[in-house]
Amino acid sequence: MALEVNGKTIELDEDGFMVDPDLWDEDVAVALAKTEEIDELTEDHWKVINYLRDYYQQFGIAPMIRKVTKSTGFKLKEIYELFPSGPAKGACKVAGLPKPTGCV
Amino acid sequence: MFDNKKIKPQDIGNSSDEQLVKLKQEELMDLPAPYDKPEMEPELTEPKDEWKEEYCTLLDGYVGIDTLTRPKTKEEEEDLVKKFLNGLEKAFSDETNRNYIQPLLLSFEYCAKCNTCSDACHVYQASGKNELYRPIFRSEVFRRLAKQHLEKKEGFWKKFIGADIDLDWRTVARLGELAYRCNLCRRCAQTCPLGLDNGLLAREIRKIFSQELGIAPKPLHEKGTMLQLKTGSSTGITKPALLDMIEFIEEEIEDRTGKQIKIPVDKKGADILLTHNAGEFMSWPENPAAFAIIFEEAGLDWTLSSDMIGYDNVNYGLFYDDAQAKKIALEQFKAAKRLGVNRIVIGECGHAHKAAAVSANRMVSGEDNIPVESFLPLLRDLVVNKKLKLDPSKNDFPVTLHDPCNVVRMMGIVKPQRDILKAIAPQFREMTPNGVRNFCCGGGSGFAIMNYMNFPEWRNKVSSRMKFKQVLEAFKDTADKPDIPKYICAPCSNCKGAMRDILEYYEATEKFNIHYGGLVELVVNALADLEEPFIDFDEAL
Repeated sequence: MALEVNGKTIELDEDGFMVDPDLWDEDVAVALAKTEEIDELTEDHWKVINYLRDYYQQFGIAPMIRKVTKSTGFKLKEIYELFPSGPAKGACKVAGLPKPTGCV
Repeated sequence: MFDNKKIKPQDIGNSSDEQLVKLKQEELMDLPAPYDKPEMEPELTEPKDEWKEEYCTLLDGYVGIDTLTRPKTKEEEEDLVKKFLNGLEKAFSDETNRNYIQPLLLSFEYCAKCNTCSDACHVYQASGKNELYRPIFRSEVFRRLAKQHLEKKEGFWKKFIGADIDLDWRTVARLGELAYRCNLCRRCAQTCPLGLDNGLLAREIRKIFSQELGIAPKPLHEKGTMLQLKTGSSTGITKPALLDMIEFIEEEIEDRTGKQIKIPVDKKGADILLTHNAGEFMSWPENPAAFAIIFEEAGLDWTLSSDMIGYDNVNYGLFYDDAQAKKIALEQFKAAKRLGVNRIVIGECGHAHKAAAVSANRMVSGEDNIPVESFLPLLRDLVVNKKLKLDPSKNDFPVTLHDPCNVVRMMGIVKPQRDILKAIAPQFREMTPNGVRNFCCGGGSGFAIMNYMNFPEWRNKVSSRMKFKQVLEAFKDTADKPDIPKYICAPCSNCKGAMRDILEYYEATEKFNIHYGGLVELVVNALADLEEPFIDFDEAL
């Protein structure tokens, strides 16, 4: 699987996560959002995405779900409204983070 | 395609690209009310064409191993078979499989095919008695292939010893997939009148694939044990990330309970090193939080470790690879040794219980070994001896207990968790059966984290189906009353992952207010001095 974004080829794994998270940019996020059936990325979406990316860049992993809800002010239910597949499978995917690993 | 009730071990050697069997909704085990109507369940789906081209969907249409790709050339096909046969030889050699050769041979040679194990197997029962999933089906394929290769008989004698399965890459690939249709829960071994262990045989097949062919599910190997050896945790949590999380957990504790707690980290010479499945920090931080609250209230001398691997007690090697299991066990003991603690206490993770207290105890001896124990007897003593001020009326909602196989069947720890629940949950009711005769959550042996392609569908429909049935039966008085919250206490990260996925798949939280969580959370929820409940049922919605 792959996405074409501005002439770049973005390889995706079988579950639609980016194989190389370094290739992420905002246009890639828009294209990834479409694979999650999110037509438009609103300010609320970006708030979650930006938080995830900042944390990922600092610590090399996705933040705890509780931390995402507390820091963005969105309840888990609201995150599911923004990203129907949820924080890990949906939001992390659009933010270009690798698929979460371990017993999570 | 074969009839689900008539497929035979030799059909595994079918040399066409045919998928051997296909699940049918009407054949699956019935679920009780309110799931007694077919429209209550999501429909079964077909594997995508691109999966069929890339992976092995030749068994039942599901992809259990995401690294088992179809050979592209004749050479690759032959290579797969050759390496499998090499692995087979090593499995049956005292030199290369010393720890397991004896139980392997016992289970290999003496099966009387009485099928007592079939009644015990939740996968076989839940599938509607699909022959492919009968515990001895896999073992019989393995047995015949091994005899065929190791005894090298020809013609009539080949048939006579039951060596009659055609062997090409498809046979090997199907057997590899079939090794991942068993949760290794060993309920079959418990019931076998001869003490044979079909779960052990399934694991021996997994070992051949991992150790000889380099084929194991990515979440267990590449993103599991390998990542753990590299970063310290299968979640990828590094030391700075862990410290950030612990700080956050301390804030959470204060926000929720008003209690100011400093979680001890790397405290040299502490009595107890508490180890968690690192998945708890990521997905269920209320669990390490609850442990911290209880241990501090009780005044225990304890610490967490932020040392390499000292903060993640998982050991996925247990599921598929002896060498990986030993590497990780050694690192975990080293972390404890460096702190100079008296004992390691394992938190709510079933396989870590078995890995550290049973398996690793035999791998690591002498000075490197440190006593390892379960948190359950310790917590039981705190509750029963009234070291905590508890008010059980705070847990006045239906609670049932899921027993993690590794805690009950593998270690025989059954009563402490019940003593605790009886003291803190007035509406506690057992599942049937329970204790050492429990059923697996369906996520055992790594299935809970193998969330790729269509494997979660197989887990939710088949391997977790028996558990979902038990949950519904345990809550039959209130299952259809959405105003009453119901709590499945599942003191194991892996089991919690499986529970979360069943409840989501069947929409049981949304429709019927059924929740899941650990045991320590329930204990903290009962603390008399808390003004607000620790467990927040709305949070899951």
